Amino acid sequence: MSNSATTPSAAEAELAVQARQAPERSTGYWAGVWKRVRRDPVTIFCASVLLLMLLAIVFAPLIAPHDPYQGSMIRRLRPIGTPNYILGTDELGRDMLTRLLYGGRLSWFMGITPVALAFVIGTVLGVLAGYAGGKTNMAIMRVTDVFYAFPSVLLAVAISGALGAGIMNAILALTLVFIPPIIRVAETVTTGVRNLDFVDAARASGANAFTIVRVHVLGNVLGPIFVYATSLISVSMILASGLSFLGLGTKPPEPEWGLMLNTLRTAIYVQPWIAVLPGACIFVTSICFNLVSDGLRQAMDVKS
Amino acid sequence: MFFYLIRRIAYGIPIALAVGFVCFMLVQIAPGDPINAIVPPDAPGDLVEQVRRDYGLDKPLPVQFGLWLMKVVQGDLGRSLASGRPVWSDLSSAIGNTLMLAAAASILGFILGCVLGGLAGTFRGSWLDRVAVTIAVGGVSVPHYWLGMVMVVIFSVQLNWLPAMGAGPGGSSDWVWDWEHMKHLILPTVTLSVIPMGIVTRTVRGIVAEIMNQEFVTALRGKGLTRGGVFLHVVKNAAPTALAVMGLQLGYLMGGSILVETVFSWPGTGLLLNNAIFQRDLPVLQGTILVLAMFFVILNLLVDLMQTALDPRIKRN
Amino acid sequence: MRLKKFLMTACLAALPVLGASIAQAQGTLRIGMTAADIPLTHGQPDQGFEGNRFTGIPLYDGLTMWDLSSAEKPSVVIPGLATEWAVDANDKTRWVFRLRRGVKFHDGSDFNADAVVWNVRKVLDREAPHYDPRQVGATATRMPTLRRAEKIDDYTVALFTAAPDSLLPINLTNLFMASPTHWEKLRAANANAEATWNAFARDPSGTGPFRLTRFVPRERAEYARFDGYWGTKAKLDRVVILPIPEANARTAALLSNQVDWIEAPAPDAIPQLRQRGMVITSNAQPHVWPWQPCFAEGSPLRDVRVRRAINLGIDREGLRTLLGGMMSIPVGTVPRGHPWFGNPSFNIRTDKAEARRLLAEAGYTPQRPLTLKVQISASGSGQMQPLPMNEFLQQDLKQIGVNVEFDVVEWNTLFSNWRQGCTHASARGAHATNVSFAAMDPFFAMVRFWDSKMAPPVSNNWGFFNDPRFDAMIAEARNAFEPAALNAALARLHAAGVDEALFIWIAHDVAPRAMNPRVRGYVQPQSWFVDLRLPFIQ
Repeated sequence: MSNSATTPSAAEAELAVQARQAPERSTGYWAGVWKRVRRDPVTIFCASVLLLMLLAIVFAPLIAPHDPYQGSMIRRLRPIGTPNYILGTDELGRDMLTRLLYGGRLSWFMGITPVALAFVIGTVLGVLAGYAGGKTNMAIMRVTDVFYAFPSVLLAVAISGALGAGIMNAILALTLVFIPPIIRVAETVTTGVRNLDFVDAARASGANAFTIVRVHVLGNVLGPIFVYATSLISVSMILASGLSFLGLGTKPPEPEWGLMLNTLRTAIYVQPWIAVLPGACIFVTSICFNLVSDGLRQAMDVKS
Repeated sequence: MFFYLIRRIAYGIPIALAVGFVCFMLVQIAPGDPINAIVPPDAPGDLVEQVRRDYGLDKPLPVQFGLWLMKVVQGDLGRSLASGRPVWSDLSSAIGNTLMLAAAASILGFILGCVLGGLAGTFRGSWLDRVAVTIAVGGVSVPHYWLGMVMVVIFSVQLNWLPAMGAGPGGSSDWVWDWEHMKHLILPTVTLSVIPMGIVTRTVRGIVAEIMNQEFVTALRGKGLTRGGVFLHVVKNAAPTALAVMGLQLGYLMGGSILVETVFSWPGTGLLLNNAIFQRDLPVLQGTILVLAMFFVILNLLVDLMQTALDPRIKRN
Repeated sequence: MRLKKFLMTACLAALPVLGASIAQAQGTLRIGMTAADIPLTHGQPDQGFEGNRFTGIPLYDGLTMWDLSSAEKPSVVIPGLATEWAVDANDKTRWVFRLRRGVKFHDGSDFNADAVVWNVRKVLDREAPHYDPRQVGATATRMPTLRRAEKIDDYTVALFTAAPDSLLPINLTNLFMASPTHWEKLRAANANAEATWNAFARDPSGTGPFRLTRFVPRERAEYARFDGYWGTKAKLDRVVILPIPEANARTAALLSNQVDWIEAPAPDAIPQLRQRGMVITSNAQPHVWPWQPCFAEGSPLRDVRVRRAINLGIDREGLRTLLGGMMSIPVGTVPRGHPWFGNPSFNIRTDKAEARRLLAEAGYTPQRPLTLKVQISASGSGQMQPLPMNEFLQQDLKQIGVNVEFDVVEWNTLFSNWRQGCTHASARGAHATNVSFAAMDPFFAMVRFWDSKMAPPVSNNWGFFNDPRFDAMIAEARNAFEPAALNAALARLHAAGVDEALFIWIAHDVAPRAMNPRVRGYVQPQSWFVDLRLPFIQ
């Protein structure tokens, strides 16, 4: 994630270049993107993994073998491979597989929601700043710069810390953390597109700003912004679980990967592999999102 | 160039003020009466009144901000609710420790990132490239506090090679650059360095690949420039951006070290923040965040200036 | 000439290395505590009794102290800086204490009646120049009836209470004597009293068996043996105390030889600790780990049926399994057979059917279930393993249809909130608080919770319990200066408290500690405290 106050990051620069160079994005263009993605084995593999995970956690109530809240003292910390408890049990005797499945719901929710919210709010503000230019641009971008002055972890912790623990507070904090980078990217990309020929032509033909944005600009900018946003999901998941790890996000007994990492810390001496399982889940999800995002960006890069 | 410098610094001042305002607001957004956030619960009535006057808690928000700001500028960041000590005294020792950790992690991440990124960019498309990129992506995808826990299990508990926590036998105030102390630094540094490593790798890879692709490099090679000469050329062109990224990572790590410091009980600003959050010690929380954010703002400024100085081709708008 | 200089330099360079190894040979004990910060060192520690244990008793003494020399016998109050005391037969609010002679503070000044008066004034006299409001909270709540002290002569002092109180000598174990001379010296160099106390905390002077030699806030405190101590000298040369609030980090620190002794190891780590040769110690403790109910309007725990139901609904055996056996099962504040146990009719046990019945009687149905909010901490002195334990209780009580929600705060915060009461903002609407407490004296075990006059801010009746019957029983106990009468009165009080289910009794701690086998001579008394004069490093 970039953190500079004025220098665009490598990602943003790349996106700006893309935006400037791409012709108006037609269906042909997107078909091309899809074709390129299809031929990229890494992206396809990761996307499949993510899809599988998503299905698993959405259908958790149907496929989970046990109740995520029901534990038993005699079944504490059973190892992986125990019959009926295939991934072992946690410190209160709850089935790990079940907890991981249900935990995925909250972890994904806390990972994706802030990015989704930030995507909407950030795109609106960023496109506005990029298209309107002038004073509006200055106002929006300077406020963005202020939030950029905080490293993301610090800002998330600060807001969560001040508001207090809780899922909603954590989501609010994370959304605020992700809005500035999306505004940045949206503004850069929009500025790049605004000056292109076909937009000038549209302006000359008398169309009003709103129509121009809707018809010509959005189609071209949403793609790169969306791809950038997907690269933020992994950061969001790690931050959200980090907040829970610190005790600021989810509260017990809700299953959530970050919180589970926290509560399983003492199990490291008895069943170290179980203690690392939630972290492995976060890692796999995160790396897949990153690789998919990378693959998408490469596919959209006409130059290479 | 000079005017750019002045403009850039002047531009930094409203940012700094705004950052201060955000920190100031932290106490206001916390649930409950702000007065409970800054005085201990069993404070006597006259102390409460004193604080109310000092911080103007009955006055409108802009006035309160002004009063708070005046105190901050004079170095008074308030008193810790928990210990009664001035915030600045705890903060100043913690900052040194975090800076040490962040600097070590940035440098390690930078070195690894340059090596991996350089290799990947030079041999773009090969298996080496893919391996390097995967390592880089892994670095930014792994929850680093989890990685820290795993490393403690392996290196401290199982193998007993390295200590699990703390900043040395005499504590951080006794720091000496000897093995007894440095071994405490190893695990946290490695844990914290994975993120900058990933980011630097990707950055350097992109730059190196771009440079290597450029036609004039081929031309130079054609003219008989040796491998070494090309290497130097690449380094010269890649350096400004790479160094800028490292500098920013340093700032990012300073601010974002809380998770790693919690795992290793490293006595830095992150651990201070952690304790402050749990103790609802808002003066410490506020003061620490303010100082870290300011550090980041100044660091950004320095990096910007350095980049401009090193590479005047970079456009400023 | 050059050779001599070279040799001198070489010797000087070698000294630190030699010095370090010499210190090791004679005994430096490194302790990992559960507190997140060094407890206050100016005489009145915070962080609960872990503070008293590590920055109170080692550095200071009180007029009275606890006998910590035996693991088999219960720990009782013995003379400390006072050699004898008695209440005035004509005026039961006046006590006369005779002070020990020849006692010196660490700074060399004498301990005498002036010092006692000065120390009483530091928390009770607002007009005193050295009055410290920050020390009042932790101190005054532990001796709520003390009013003032008066010097009779250099080694005799009179203490006055607001009402007759037989418990005063026990309370005085909490008032540690700081050196007025040293304080005055620091006052000259500091702007005001508050700054002076901060300076005093960095450079304290008490009469205890150790002296503070180094203090790094939030990181470590180092002590050296005080060879001018009035009693049996300590065996150790140095003690280092380190705050390590996280159980895993403590265990890892012991295993990697960064510390020699840790408080409260994670129960799950105990098998591995034993396997690596560490010694695990534990002992019966006068300790109670409860949920303390709020009796204010709107709290569901006002209803005695609800309180009894929760007591019956908890599977304490299951909890003991969670803790690897490191707990004992309560039937009240004190165990059966204790002179204060009495004869309660309510039998605390696990009986979920009866619990459900009581809840139904109190009006709770599956459509309208009981929801309890409890304020807990993540760690802390005597708190055992709060998060897993509470999570277990949450799950356990679900079986009788009770939903439990937690508000997790930091230990010192929970402990300070304890003095504010359940109606205060700091409680954040909690119906119960999970603060563990010591039960070694009647005031600590019962009086401060069940006396309506002990409601905040006076002391720890957090729930604002108010019942004239109990007030009467307590007054009776306070006026019983004769031991047998006192025990009988306390037994009646305890039985009544159990019958009314004034606590949700959950566990008694056994204070597990893990130590490196090179720590010898350690004795674990039946007390929250430990005598650090006894151990040494082999």
